[in-house]
Amino acid sequence: MEILKVEDLSFCYPGEKEPVLKDISFSVAEGEFLCLSGATGCGKSTLLRLLKKELSPKGDRSGRILISGENIDDLDSAEKIGFVMQSPDEQIVTDTVWHELAFGLENIGMKREKIALRIAEIASYFGMSAWYDKKTSELSGGQKQMLNLAAVMAMSPDILILDEPTSQLDPIAASEFISTVKKLNRELSLTVIITEHRLEEVIPVSDRIMIMKDRGIAHLGSPRDIVSRVGDSPEILASMPSAAQLYHAVDGEGQCPLDVREGKRFIETGFRADHTALTSEKYTHSEEKALEFKQVFFRYAKETQDVLDSLSLTVYSGEAYFILGGNGSGKTTALGAASGLLKPYSGSIRVFEKKLKEYKNNSLYSGCLALLPQEVETLFLSNTVREELIDAYEEAKMLPIDVDTLLDKHPYDLSGGEKQLIALAKVLSQKPRILLLDEPTKGIDAVSKQRLAEVLRLLKKNGITVVAVTHDVDFAAMCADRCAMFFRGRVVAENTVREFFSDNSFYTTPINRMTRGYYSGAVTVSDCVELCRLNGVRDGAAV
Amino acid sequence: MRSFAEYNPIAVTLYFILVTGVTMFVSDPIFTAVSFLGAVLFTLMRGGEGQLKRHIFSLILFFITALVNPLVSHNGVTVLFFINDNPITLEAVIYGCFNALMIVTVLYWFSAFSGIMDSDKLLYVFGAFSPKVALVLSMALRYIPLFSERQKRVRSAQTAVGLYKDGNVPDRVRGGVRVFSIMTTWALEKGIVTADSMSARGYGQGRRSRFTPFRFYFCDFLLIIISVIATAVSVWLTADHKFVFYPALQFPSVTVTNLLGYAAYGTLVLFPVINDLKEEIRWRYLRSKI
Repeated sequence: MEILKVEDLSFCYPGEKEPVLKDISFSVAEGEFLCLSGATGCGKSTLLRLLKKELSPKGDRSGRILISGENIDDLDSAEKIGFVMQSPDEQIVTDTVWHELAFGLENIGMKREKIALRIAEIASYFGMSAWYDKKTSELSGGQKQMLNLAAVMAMSPDILILDEPTSQLDPIAASEFISTVKKLNRELSLTVIITEHRLEEVIPVSDRIMIMKDRGIAHLGSPRDIVSRVGDSPEILASMPSAAQLYHAVDGEGQCPLDVREGKRFIETGFRADHTALTSEKYTHSEEKALEFKQVFFRYAKETQDVLDSLSLTVYSGEAYFILGGNGSGKTTALGAASGLLKPYSGSIRVFEKKLKEYKNNSLYSGCLALLPQEVETLFLSNTVREELIDAYEEAKMLPIDVDTLLDKHPYDLSGGEKQLIALAKVLSQKPRILLLDEPTKGIDAVSKQRLAEVLRLLKKNGITVVAVTHDVDFAAMCADRCAMFFRGRVVAENTVREFFSDNSFYTTPINRMTRGYYSGAVTVSDCVELCRLNGVRDGAAV
Repeated sequence: MRSFAEYNPIAVTLYFILVTGVTMFVSDPIFTAVSFLGAVLFTLMRGGEGQLKRHIFSLILFFITALVNPLVSHNGVTVLFFINDNPITLEAVIYGCFNALMIVTVLYWFSAFSGIMDSDKLLYVFGAFSPKVALVLSMALRYIPLFSERQKRVRSAQTAVGLYKDGNVPDRVRGGVRVFSIMTTWALEKGIVTADSMSARGYGQGRRSRFTPFRFYFCDFLLIIISVIATAVSVWLTADHKFVFYPALQFPSVTVTNLLGYAAYGTLVLFPVINDLKEEIRWRYLRSKI
């Protein structure tokens, strides 16, 4: 049965000449899991907001939206439609977990006893009993987003709409979140409509995928069908699973692989393995040490545990050094210590062979070292991008985006990727010789990620040392010279990027997993494509 | 039965208001002494960290406030000695001691109160007046840590790109103003998201109900009734018993009726101690059977 039907929907924001959405028609069946994708600015979020009356943007709307056959304007949708947004923090309204769960139910005037039962049910279902009494400010990002989902689910909606819910989460929390949504979909027959940047997780669980382009629907159909049809638009392809990217890069035919298992089969049945490895030059670093940690110990408070536990590492000048590791492994803390924001209680940190303490009066930050924080919004001071870039226009000019079209916008109104690049330009205007990046790919789409990788390559060419902390193994594989794995406040493995990922079994790229035991040293899609081309198609294989 | 801290917060608040009210406003050393005894016993009983510091602090505070009165007030007929030609009188010394004891006692009660009442409970008590007030307070409590955390991040982000200098005072002020301006923009911007999140969950659609994790049990009513009756009885029965400090000390003798009044207040003041002692004994007994 159709639970949602959209007929000829067009929408135009006030003051804009061009509509954001034009003649959109589709319907969603009850219990369906629909994934919505498209380049940034294609109107995904606008469409989602139009489906939720309380959040509908103001503007000219034509066409009809029917929910269970009723027009959306005649309906109180607070209970019927749940909506989860991007940022975990700002969606939380109250100070305690239990109050947050009860908030929506209080709003609709539910009786006290019924609320007590409902939130007991929800807390048990989501496994939240252990943190039921906690303050919301004490939760981790993943827990916060799970709480937002639980708080929406407490109102038992028929349709759940999620607008890039995992973009601010680390991969482990993100995949836990997606599997919880899938569980709700399966067990409660809940209708789910979701948008995402990273489709690797969502595609396998979706029933249908809708790709938006040029203000309308470009494709709508089953995942496999859609994935094999998007080869012609690089923007959309970039967000697809690695297996699908590989399939398109080698002009594959037949069934398109969606995950690692199918990707492995695709490679092994399709291509020969006469050459198992790429010949690559041996990586050599310069002799100058750009950043050196020597047995550094750090903890946040006297009674707590060491976050950096005898950390020693060396980054050489001109290289891209990527630090990977789970939550709480001390990655971000290490960056804080390197930038002089956190003071270790023992050990020494040297930047260009000079102790941090010897950089007096902020001389460290002028022309030497700069940190791009995780939340780049903390860098913005002005009301327009133009003012923001007053001292950084030159740097902004070399970015792979058209800065001039953004100049009059408010920095908060930019997309995640644009924000990241503008902030990077600001940081670069301080002319650092060593640039620290904290989770540079958080909250940005696949295309922006490629742009960022381009910028990093450019910086390396200019001799700037880059030290980045990330959860994003694909990004590290694309950009790094050397990688280090952090665990419990120290480096447990450190190697050049190919060797690093080839030695890891779990913490590695999907491409490396697909080619394991068949090819060696392939970590990115382009590595694998090169290897496949080198080897050639197997006789009689349908590729 | 429950420990005193687990009673319904409204009953507990009422209890503290009445006990400290009598201590503060009924100027009677016997009340103060009884109240002091109850407060100290309860504090000792609850234990916890920093006990010793609290007692030492109280002792010092007692001596300082007790000393100040005779130095500034020279009323009274019994002159003990002179400092710089100013008479120090026995009456002023005794009044000073009485006042100091009262202040120390009230502080003991306050610290016990704040130890029992966490933000959830305070919110519940204030929210009893209006669900709207409860929500506003809850949101404020949510925003304060969020804001201070954010402020810290902005500051370090600005520092690490060399924009925030704290070398000298003008730089520091300029930096501070800048951080504040970012924070304002951010708060307004993020406020929109929070507002969306609220209306998406039906805020403002109709009459709100209110969910709290606290309930009223029989013993909560009992505590309220005991508190009100004991306070009324003790004030009423001791109304004719007036202490006079100035110009000369007058301690009228205590009648049997007065004594009953003091006993009533004593019962009230010792209620938490008796309650918790009983709980402790009961718990030990129950545990011995596990």
